[in-house]
Amino acid sequence: MSAPTTNIPVAIPAGASSGAPAGQRPRTIAGSLSGGIPGARGLAGRLLHGTPGRMRLFGLLGVVAAVLLGAVSANALLASEAAVERAANNSAQVVRAQSIHVDLLRADAVATNAFLVGGLESPESRASYEGAMGRVAAGIAEAAAAQPADGNALGVLSQRVQTYAALVEQARSNNRLGLPVGAQYLTQASAGLRADAIPIVTQVVKANEERAKKEFERSNSSLQLLVGVVSLIGLVALAVWLAKRTHRYLNPSLTGAIALLLVALFVTATVITGVGSATRDVSNGSYQRAVALANVTTAANDARANESLTLIRRGSGASNEQAWVADRKAVDATLATLDDSALQDQWADYVDAHVKVRSLDKGGHWDDAVTLSTSTEDGGAAKTFSTFDVAVTQARDSAAKATVTTLETLGRAAPLMAVVVALAALVASWLIVRGVGQRIEEYR
Amino acid sequence: MSTITRALRRRLVALVAVAGVGVLAGCSGVTYAETQLPASAAPKPTSSTPAAPAPTCSNATQSYDPLPSLPSRGDITDASMRRIIDKGFITVGVSADTYLFGARNAFTGGIEGFDIDMARAVAKAIFGDSSKVQLRVITADDRKPLLKNREIDMVARNMSMTCDRWNDIGFSAEYYRSGQKVLVSKALPGAKDLTLADLKGKRVCAPTGTTSLAKLQQVKGPVVVTAGTHTGCLVLLQQGKADAITGDDTVLAGLAAQDPNTVVTSAKAITVEPYGLGVNKADVYLARYLNRVIADLEADGGWKAIYNHWLAAPLGPAPAPPTPVYGR
Repeated sequence: MSAPTTNIPVAIPAGASSGAPAGQRPRTIAGSLSGGIPGARGLAGRLLHGTPGRMRLFGLLGVVAAVLLGAVSANALLASEAAVERAANNSAQVVRAQSIHVDLLRADAVATNAFLVGGLESPESRASYEGAMGRVAAGIAEAAAAQPADGNALGVLSQRVQTYAALVEQARSNNRLGLPVGAQYLTQASAGLRADAIPIVTQVVKANEERAKKEFERSNSSLQLLVGVVSLIGLVALAVWLAKRTHRYLNPSLTGAIALLLVALFVTATVITGVGSATRDVSNGSYQRAVALANVTTAANDARANESLTLIRRGSGASNEQAWVADRKAVDATLATLDDSALQDQWADYVDAHVKVRSLDKGGHWDDAVTLSTSTEDGGAAKTFSTFDVAVTQARDSAAKATVTTLETLGRAAPLMAVVVALAALVASWLIVRGVGQRIEEYR
Repeated sequence: MSTITRALRRRLVALVAVAGVGVLAGCSGVTYAETQLPASAAPKPTSSTPAAPAPTCSNATQSYDPLPSLPSRGDITDASMRRIIDKGFITVGVSADTYLFGARNAFTGGIEGFDIDMARAVAKAIFGDSSKVQLRVITADDRKPLLKNREIDMVARNMSMTCDRWNDIGFSAEYYRSGQKVLVSKALPGAKDLTLADLKGKRVCAPTGTTSLAKLQQVKGPVVVTAGTHTGCLVLLQQGKADAITGDDTVLAGLAAQDPNTVVTSAKAITVEPYGLGVNKADVYLARYLNRVIADLEADGGWKAIYNHWLAAPLGPAPAPPTPVYGR
């Protein structure tokens, strides 16, 4: 170890040699610093010494403030864009899970209804069942790919759906042979679907609704920009200090930097609050409408399946009729909030048909009740229901599409804005260095 | 400006940029907690506690004296029967999955079988029209409560007349005699001759609320499994969740006919199951009316025709109808 070679006095005994025992040398911070980085102490001291030194220090802090403002603004923009994108993804996942829910109930309604008619099922009803189950299978795979956090739940759901489909097939093949055990398999399939599979779908919907809600809230946050405001205040303080020290009131470079950063911060804040409020609009508008319509579709299809089950259970379906009434209440309540008179009228048509079916069954005319329930003629329950089902599904699809596309376009400008703001911050940094450097030169 | 200042500045800028990127990465990486599966209720353990021994008596098959002759609809003054007549149809609790006795025909969607024909015969006697009957599908467990609260007027659902049941409801005279047997999977060794007592440690299924279940619970050895109906038991057997089913021989014949991998063992019936039409305990007049209908059916060959239509194929031609016991 050699003695320090600096002209600034340090707290090391001049006579200390490398051969001296370590215990004799006083262990001071300065000593270890001077030993570790030769020359650093001297450089820092020289640069920060006196007024020019303070100017250099404050100039550096100014640059840090500008870069920080740029980084925070760019980050806030990107974060809000990312939050909106995640909100869009989560909304899409909610829609996907709800579609799985509806299609499962639709498949079950078709299967039970085909069974109700007796004899071999029609090719149309078979195709309709298979279409619904196909959409369920594709939907589960798609949903699992879209949200890994749902993977486990969807895996279990997939198992349960397979069990359901297997039981329905067994019911079908026994039914073809004319064996009553087929009915038992169908009952088991329906009960298992509602007890084991549907609760998982409901859980997935709920989890994604919560995720979407969180992201909707995140996109509104412009709290990070407070850091930017503090940075800006710091820069103004630097300008004031410089002006006092040098008695030159206007420093064009520094003022330009402050103006540039102010504009950048203002633009960022405007963009973020704009995205936030637009997101809020979507959340309270088309997104809410899509969710509400999906709930209507689900409840309506559940009601329809319960109508069939009530008839299949021939007089012992009181619990299914109660479920129908609960579903009807849910549909009525939601439709009232949506203020869509066309849908309300179509639903009322189906409710009328159902009431007629029930009164026929109660009056001892089971056969007539079945005929009306499965009738695709005008006024028949099958016809009025499918009219409503098609309309409400279309309305939901368009609301869901509007939600996702609006959200996707909302954040699109944010990355470009982030780049512009970051560049502006760099330009401002350069201006600050130039402005402060000018004063330092003048001071000399 | 010195080169050292510039170098230091460059280094600082780089440092801030790196820090900024770090913050950026930290903020945009959002991971979600895994979606929870709904808490599922623990499966209910099947009860295997032996039932209290059923009360015994010597007159389980004894019903009320039949009416001397069938009165015309207008002459009936009994309140319960008037309610049925005013309603325009009789509501009968039946099975929809007891093959040959009361089962849904998969091709027509209608319910048919021995019990259904008995119900139709009653409707024909009251209304002169065998279609004036509302068939209400019920489980074995539903039979007593639904009769008690008058949701149904009559039960025609392979219901055994027992001393215990006489305490809660009334019965017509015996219209069919059955006995409890065992159906097993053909895969079991020596399947053809197995008795309930042989099925030690095997899972044996019986529907809840039946005399078959009560009897099964008294036998030591088998593990008791329950289902809502006999067909529910068959599903459990086909799914490998049960090894055998116990029930009335007629019901088991219907199950065996649906699955060629099963067999009704040749072991002697362990009980005598006299079937009666169930009515509300207060409806003594209705029971007497039913007894007249049954007696007439047995006298004019109607009973034999019904038997042969449904049961001749699996059980052979109709034997003599059971002898009714009256005088309760």
